[in-house]
Amino acid sequence: MTDPLVIFDLLLALSIVALAVASLSVRDLFAMIVLFIVFGLLSALAWVRLSAPDVALAEAAIGTGVTGALLLKTLHHLRFVAGGQGLRAGSGGTSMAPAAPVPVPVPVGVILANAAFCGLITLGLAVAFLGAPSAGPGFDALVADAMPDSGVAHPVTGVLLNFRAYDTLMEVVVLLAAVVAVWQIERGLSDAPAPVMGEVWQGFARLALPAIVVIGTYLLWVGAEAPGGAFQGGAVLAAVGLLLLLTRAYVPRPAHRGIARGAFVLGTAAFALVALLVASGGRVAFEYPLEHAKTLILLIEGMVTLSIAVTLAALFHGREPVALPKGGRDDT
Amino acid sequence: MSVDISAMMLAIFLPLFGAIAAFLLPRAAALIGLVALALTTGAVIWLAREVWQSGAVILPLGGWGAPLGIDLRADGLSVAMLALTSAVGLLVSVSALDALKGAGQSRQRQYFWPLWLLLLTGINGVYLSTDIFNLYVMIEVIALAAVGLTVLSGTRAAVQAGLEYMYASILGALLFLMGVGFVYLQLGRLDFAGLMDAEPTGALIAAVALMFVGLALKTALFPLHFWLPAAHANATAPASALLSGLVVKAALYIVLRLAQYMPFPSEALLTLVGMMGAGAVIWGGIQALRAERLKLLVAWSTVAQIGLIFVAFARAGELGLTESWKAAALLILAHGVAKAAMFLAAGRIKDEIGHDVIRDLDRSPIRPTLAQFTFALAAISLIGLPPSLGFIGKWALMEGAMASGYWHWVVVTMVGTLMSVAYFSRVFAGFLRFDRVRAPVGEHQGWALADAAPLTLAFAAIGLGLMAAPILSFLEIGYPFGVAP
Amino acid sequence: MTPDLIYGLTGIAVFGIGLVGALCVQERLRRVLALKLCSVGAGFVLVVGAWREPPEMPDPVPHALVITGIVVMVSATAVALALIRRLQTLEATDER
Repeated sequence: MTDPLVIFDLLLALSIVALAVASLSVRDLFAMIVLFIVFGLLSALAWVRLSAPDVALAEAAIGTGVTGALLLKTLHHLRFVAGGQGLRAGSGGTSMAPAAPVPVPVPVGVILANAAFCGLITLGLAVAFLGAPSAGPGFDALVADAMPDSGVAHPVTGVLLNFRAYDTLMEVVVLLAAVVAVWQIERGLSDAPAPVMGEVWQGFARLALPAIVVIGTYLLWVGAEAPGGAFQGGAVLAAVGLLLLLTRAYVPRPAHRGIARGAFVLGTAAFALVALLVASGGRVAFEYPLEHAKTLILLIEGMVTLSIAVTLAALFHGREPVALPKGGRDDT
Repeated sequence: MSVDISAMMLAIFLPLFGAIAAFLLPRAAALIGLVALALTTGAVIWLAREVWQSGAVILPLGGWGAPLGIDLRADGLSVAMLALTSAVGLLVSVSALDALKGAGQSRQRQYFWPLWLLLLTGINGVYLSTDIFNLYVMIEVIALAAVGLTVLSGTRAAVQAGLEYMYASILGALLFLMGVGFVYLQLGRLDFAGLMDAEPTGALIAAVALMFVGLALKTALFPLHFWLPAAHANATAPASALLSGLVVKAALYIVLRLAQYMPFPSEALLTLVGMMGAGAVIWGGIQALRAERLKLLVAWSTVAQIGLIFVAFARAGELGLTESWKAAALLILAHGVAKAAMFLAAGRIKDEIGHDVIRDLDRSPIRPTLAQFTFALAAISLIGLPPSLGFIGKWALMEGAMASGYWHWVVVTMVGTLMSVAYFSRVFAGFLRFDRVRAPVGEHQGWALADAAPLTLAFAAIGLGLMAAPILSFLEIGYPFGVAP
Repeated sequence: MTPDLIYGLTGIAVFGIGLVGALCVQERLRRVLALKLCSVGAGFVLVVGAWREPPEMPDPVPHALVITGIVVMVSATAVALALIRRLQTLEATDER
């Protein structure tokens, strides 16, 4: 009866596994990233099949899109640094990133032993998985009961912004910690030249930007009722930032750091303040008064979306824009 | 309309707001950091009073209550860990003022505070959490902030070590996350209470194994310790003190909690844990004996001491677990205080002398006597001489092991103690032999106000041993290990 | 053969592949990718756990958890990649 779908599932599953293996084993790093992006998109497709459209959106936008962009950016940087060293820069996608000390190749025996070890673990996990109750107990009933009091109509948003809002706040804190750490690690205006973009690309960017802004805002807005929300919307808006950075329509300057800092912390600060301030009149932290729940959740989501968008773009830019004195490092 | 604020929320949110403020106002970062630390310490004291008076306290965030929502819970063990964190944190912060005062360190000054306050948010969050997925998010907050602190100095060695640490940290967190997935598959809930009394099915055994391996990687239990020595040895002194004294304890604490709530381990698994601990004691000891640099020696001694904590945990098998956790907790507290003191002292010695090559310690004309004294005091607690807290912890370990006839753990502890005497003696020899260089008297000392914080910590490591009885009774508050709640 | 079974095993396989990569691979960039594979594998297990028959109403909690996991992972990846870039620059400066 559902045969065609089962065949589709099996094919999709096989492609996902094959792409995972291929992306780890292909020699060229550029090909590796491309294979990974395809892998991520197919995984998102599988999650749509499992009726998890929110997760699929997040994986496609953040897990695959932003991660892929970050990987490509890093590869670009590695090849630029290697090129400056007089080594053969991989143009057109040859070669590995030539790390200065060539890593000692691991003996085949060690690799095989490791692989066998991981294989055993995987086998054990598979057995454990098969032994677990399928469609077992869950939060279904609890969520269904609590939804009317959550202030939103879409269950995943209810979980993220209300039932488990504390987790979500901490997730935004993780993002903040990441951008603080990245700014601490890298600084300077730019050392690798931006990839050259053709005129078509510039034109495309001009056309695409408004559309992306609209899509991102829509995703945020619709999150209250349907799949979408702060994280997916934020990631789509971050794409605007990526395009602006790539086309050099926006170049981060040292003077902009104050605003950027403000944008990074905006989501965390607003979220935490609301969570603390609602605790009055017998309510505890994170307990939104029902009549204001939807407003508060939208307020939090809006701030968080903005922060996520700016933070992801900053993570892509990957350095604190600060003017270095001539000769490189200021202090270490 | 007044806002009801609970001490638990403050313990997590004060450092968070501090981190935000310190990041926004880099010039005032140090001031903001110290104020946030002091206020957080105040919140922890308030919480401790509450717990002392009325037992464990629970805060259902959002008013939902577990399992749908997330509860915060503070009992004796949580508060003891929070107290360790804020006390050590406050003193390390004070010494960071001096350690990062150099003209070339403005960047380090600027980033130390937001990263450290974010780290504090994560650590406090772990100690108050009762939800395994929330723990996963918290250990990631800790991981990113800790890696940021590791590479603060920006040297190539530090960045290399930080990258290895990052890989290990991510992998550990992902193994933990996979474990969370299996718990959900089997039980359909994620709160601690939901884990209790569950039948140990295949999925749950897989979950326990995944989570344990992930945490062992994070806490650097032998043989998953490979990332720790380089990371802790190459960080700047205050960061090393925080990483070694506090960060590894968060993962250790989660292991204790899981042992409390998960359908635990058979005898065989507990023996395996003990053997890994014994391996750490021996291997960490050997490497500490061979280390050429002071900070590396101290870092390897962390590996050995963490092993000892796991030995304490396994000392009396499954039945003894109701008591063993207390020995482990005592050792955790003792190590946290003493190791922070020791890393700060090692940093002071390195600052004063200009290097930390153990062989050449006695060739220097400058003798940072107070820092050396601090180092020695901290070593007394780590070796486990009376009346230090380390001694009480080791004593509890061996007593329990002997009572249940597990003599092999006693042997491991003795061997570990002898080895720690041996490797710390290498350092003392460098401190004491004055004959190599006759220095002018005026340059003989080299001590500063900066020694005050580590010295206080070192005295605390010894003095707390005299307070072991009240600490033990505090630990037991609201803690139903082995007793039905 | 139901989708949860197929994709559950897929997720575990992907996790295992990522594990092999994380332990055996030397290239820095590829190790980051291997870790990302592990996280996708863990995501699969949670999403599968949420799946219900009939598929209209899955459990939303694991979905929220996986979204959190994805954002956490991209943060960790960004830091790891920044470290890789920094290290490469430092190594290049030292060579010169």
